Amino acid sequence: MRLETAARRAFLLAPVGFVSVFLILPLAFTVAVSFWKRSLLTLTPAFLINNYVDFLTGARLKVLVRSFSVSIEATAIGLLIAYPIAYFLARKARADATRLALMLFTVPFLINYVIRAFSWTYLLGRTGPVNSALAAVGLTSGSVDWLLYSDFAVLVGMVSSYMPFMIFPLWMSIAGVDQRLIEASWMLGAAPPRTFLKVTLPLSLPGVFAAIIFSFVGCFGESAVPTILGGVGYQLIGNEIASAMDTLNYPLAAAMSSVVTAAMLALLAIWYALFDVRAFLGKILARR
Amino acid sequence: MTRVDGSGRYTGVWLAIGLVLLILYLPLVPPVFFSFAPEAAGEGFVTLRWYAEMWRNPLLTGAMSTSLEAGLIVAIVTPVLALAAAMAIRELKAARLILLAMLLPLFIPGISMGLATSFFFRIAGVAPSLLTIAVVQILWALPFATLVVLTAMSTFDPVYLEAAHMSGANRWRSFRDIELPLIRPGVTGAATFSLILSFNETIRTSAVQGPLNTVQTYIWSTYKQVGLSPTLYALMTLLIALTVLLVGAFLVSGRSKAVS
Repeated sequence: MRLETAARRAFLLAPVGFVSVFLILPLAFTVAVSFWKRSLLTLTPAFLINNYVDFLTGARLKVLVRSFSVSIEATAIGLLIAYPIAYFLARKARADATRLALMLFTVPFLINYVIRAFSWTYLLGRTGPVNSALAAVGLTSGSVDWLLYSDFAVLVGMVSSYMPFMIFPLWMSIAGVDQRLIEASWMLGAAPPRTFLKVTLPLSLPGVFAAIIFSFVGCFGESAVPTILGGVGYQLIGNEIASAMDTLNYPLAAAMSSVVTAAMLALLAIWYALFDVRAFLGKILARR
Repeated sequence: MTRVDGSGRYTGVWLAIGLVLLILYLPLVPPVFFSFAPEAAGEGFVTLRWYAEMWRNPLLTGAMSTSLEAGLIVAIVTPVLALAAAMAIRELKAARLILLAMLLPLFIPGISMGLATSFFFRIAGVAPSLLTIAVVQILWALPFATLVVLTAMSTFDPVYLEAAHMSGANRWRSFRDIELPLIRPGVTGAATFSLILSFNETIRTSAVQGPLNTVQTYIWSTYKQVGLSPTLYALMTLLIALTVLLVGAFLVSGRSKAVS
């Protein structure tokens, strides 16, 4: 009996062990390596902060700032589109229509965003359908250059990549808001907009925060979308890490990666401290 | 449109949602289109040449078998881990922390995860192989699989387990005979999701694959070296078709079960 209990416990804790060994430990390791010394092809343990100095003083700081602003823009645009959709699906649409819509949002997410980014280079290109359509309608004369290899293209790629990622947590938390609270607010005389601002919105904040984190994390660490859609020389911190890896400058890659990861974990810690993680999963984890 | 919500009050909203969906689906069209496009006039309107050429490239057939093997491992291991995680979240005191650990891979940017795991394997002396590819893909699929299993579990009433327990079944038997059949759709869903995520993963995999290639990393590295080609479009079309097929198969199997 005792053996069975031990085996069961090992089974239950196996996933945590897996994540600890293959993700948490490697991330801690990366932090250590970021201080190491690099000489051509070998790495030697050391405590050097020159990688961080290099990263945070030179041109790379601009890349970091740009990554921040692009990610914030993409996240804000995504939220403005995703929240109304999630709200509508959770509160107004019929259950079967909601299921269908959510399923339809899942499929493009499952197809790799690298493939979708390749497609955007055609769709937004000088002779692509978007330009043709704009010209045909008469909005533009000639082709528009800023559609591709620009901030605009990168934003299109990012917002469309992470849209489903935002809709799901938002939908879960809005659907999890207790209908009785909304009815109570209504009965106490609050008009629908006021009810939304005072009841639904605050109660859906865990989902909003989750959506923001998912989108921001994705965009901030993105390395493929800026490479494909940003054009030559367009650098975000994700490509910067990738190119440091390509030139085998692992300590520098590790330093940049650690800064990015630390920023993400800080966001995660705020989320964890402010909300019950289970709250955004609302319905899924509803305890009986 | 009016049929969907019964009144027509929301037609405008549905149109807006339709537009967003259109924008999300639009990028799936060009690869399919280009994969059938002939190189020169005189070949007709449609050609299967690029699909035929794929099989003559040994690098590519190797990538296909790596993708299949990795996908299979990921689709088998991830649901088991996800099931264990979901049970741990239900039963153990540290539920919040366990859930957080399961969701952690979602919060680490792909490039950082790739860098960290490739370092780790290098220093631990594990050579890049199918195993290292499978490990990062399992990490990536685990949060999704856990959420899918948790969703299935939330529809399951633990009273059944108590009933089984009182009828003298031990924990293993009550799990095998009562719970597993009831949450099976969640487990198969987790497996389907894991397989799809494995096929479509690029950045993390390319950091730990060493000399190997999956279809997805083959597309990525060929793009970086020589740019896009009709063969790459044909590969993308295969991946798109496979993903849609898997989602469809999962939905159909779910529906037939719901009916019976």
